Amino acid sequence: MTISKISEVEFGETLPAFQPDTTMPNVRRFAKAAGWEGGRFTDHDHARKEGLPGALVPGIMSQGFLSAMIHHWAPAAQIKNVDTVFRAPVIVDQVYSISGVVTDIDLDSGRVEIDLTVTNEANETRVFGTAKVLLPI
Amino acid sequence: MILDLHAHSIKSDDGRAKVQNYCQWIKARSIPIDGFVLTEHRQFDNESDYSDLAAEFGVTILKASEVETEYGHVLVFGVTPALQASFDFGSINLALKDVIKACNAHGAVAAPCHPGRKRVGMSAHLEEYGVPQGVRIVEVFNGGSRDNEDEVAQRMATDLGYLGIGGSDAHIVSHIGRCATRFPGSIHNEAELVAALKAEQFEAVTFREGEA
Amino acid sequence: MSQELDIEAMKSQFLNEVFDVQHFVADAKALADYAAACGETAPQFTDPSHPDFQAPPTFASSFHAGRRMPENFPTLPGLGMDAGKAVQSIKPIRPGVTLTGKSHMHDIYTKTGRSGRMVFFVIRMEIFDESDTQLASADTSVVIRERPST
Repeated sequence: MTISKISEVEFGETLPAFQPDTTMPNVRRFAKAAGWEGGRFTDHDHARKEGLPGALVPGIMSQGFLSAMIHHWAPAAQIKNVDTVFRAPVIVDQVYSISGVVTDIDLDSGRVEIDLTVTNEANETRVFGTAKVLLPI
Repeated sequence: MILDLHAHSIKSDDGRAKVQNYCQWIKARSIPIDGFVLTEHRQFDNESDYSDLAAEFGVTILKASEVETEYGHVLVFGVTPALQASFDFGSINLALKDVIKACNAHGAVAAPCHPGRKRVGMSAHLEEYGVPQGVRIVEVFNGGSRDNEDEVAQRMATDLGYLGIGGSDAHIVSHIGRCATRFPGSIHNEAELVAALKAEQFEAVTFREGEA
Repeated sequence: MSQELDIEAMKSQFLNEVFDVQHFVADAKALADYAAACGETAPQFTDPSHPDFQAPPTFASSFHAGRRMPENFPTLPGLGMDAGKAVQSIKPIRPGVTLTGKSHMHDIYTKTGRSGRMVFFVIRMEIFDESDTQLASADTSVVIRERPST
């Protein structure tokens, strides 16, 4: 179910589940489009030589996943702010889940705040953040 | 009574949660806690008064602090003006013995948090600094723990005879109440919380998925 | 001897001074690829022929300043890692528009983390269009893990 206006949103509502594509071909496609083609993001061996556990999903790509999840839930949403804290690396070719929940609603302005979390298969938080979104009144 | 003893609001540099939204979340999602303690990083929030929110939502909201020592991060419950005057809460180089001494002098309780965590947890420093004197309580369930950090904390607590508390370490609204501490009686203010901790009759609980 | 950076001195010298100005023009195909790779499916983000085609709202985070840090900034010990990003979208970013990104050091602070003392540098880039209207701002928090004191 998608949301079209603020009155349809409930506090505590969970956004539909979103499985980000963190495979290497997709990360390379993203990196090329973003101009972030360093080996740290596109080559596991290169990343390991830098002391990383593997190639990293760029933080800006995690932000993009979060934003896409919000648009899937509310296609008319204007995303005004996405604030993310990177707690642990998100590694290319590993499986992650993204979740979002509504944590504040202002019916008068149409503003919604959403908690966003990227978790790994062990349900450990890798990235968390918040988004401020405007919905039609 | 169940209290989440470790939570951060937007008063902390990495906190993203408004206290009102914590209250709303607890009620909307029927989170099985009766309240929470705000433990802002390296400070005590003297300004905020959450009594109206607490009354509106029927949730106990208390204030404490999370300070930083050579043994890692430490929750300080029962903060008073005199305690604040006795050491610099903003320092990241506090000596744990000084924090414990000050807490003892001013009726507060110090409890190392996420002690199974590298660098900022107490267990990581035992080999270098030895077992610290005066620790009685440590956090054994932390909602932000990764890998085996809670297991390390629990093992250390067992080995050294510490009592365990739990806290979510929430920085965003939806993480409140993931871990908490169950007390036998009611707690309405910081002084009663300190008394309950000193009575040593409590248990850490977790409500994380698959662990409840 | 300690390797610790003098945070207060750095703040007084570098905060809020624009240290870099860059110009960008977003390419429509790159914008569409960026959005699609992130999982966007709405045509205003994925189809350059859509009448309201625009960059996805977090796109401003991807712009690089020409300089990573201000001129004469102290040499930092260790590898800088992204600690967080915050992006504010004010108006849509459209392809083909010449954008100007002005960067300044917005904050410097420390905390102890899982790997010792960490120093956080928050660099803010403000994005303007050709008429000097601000479209977005993007904060990047870079964290440096200091070497332990010896």
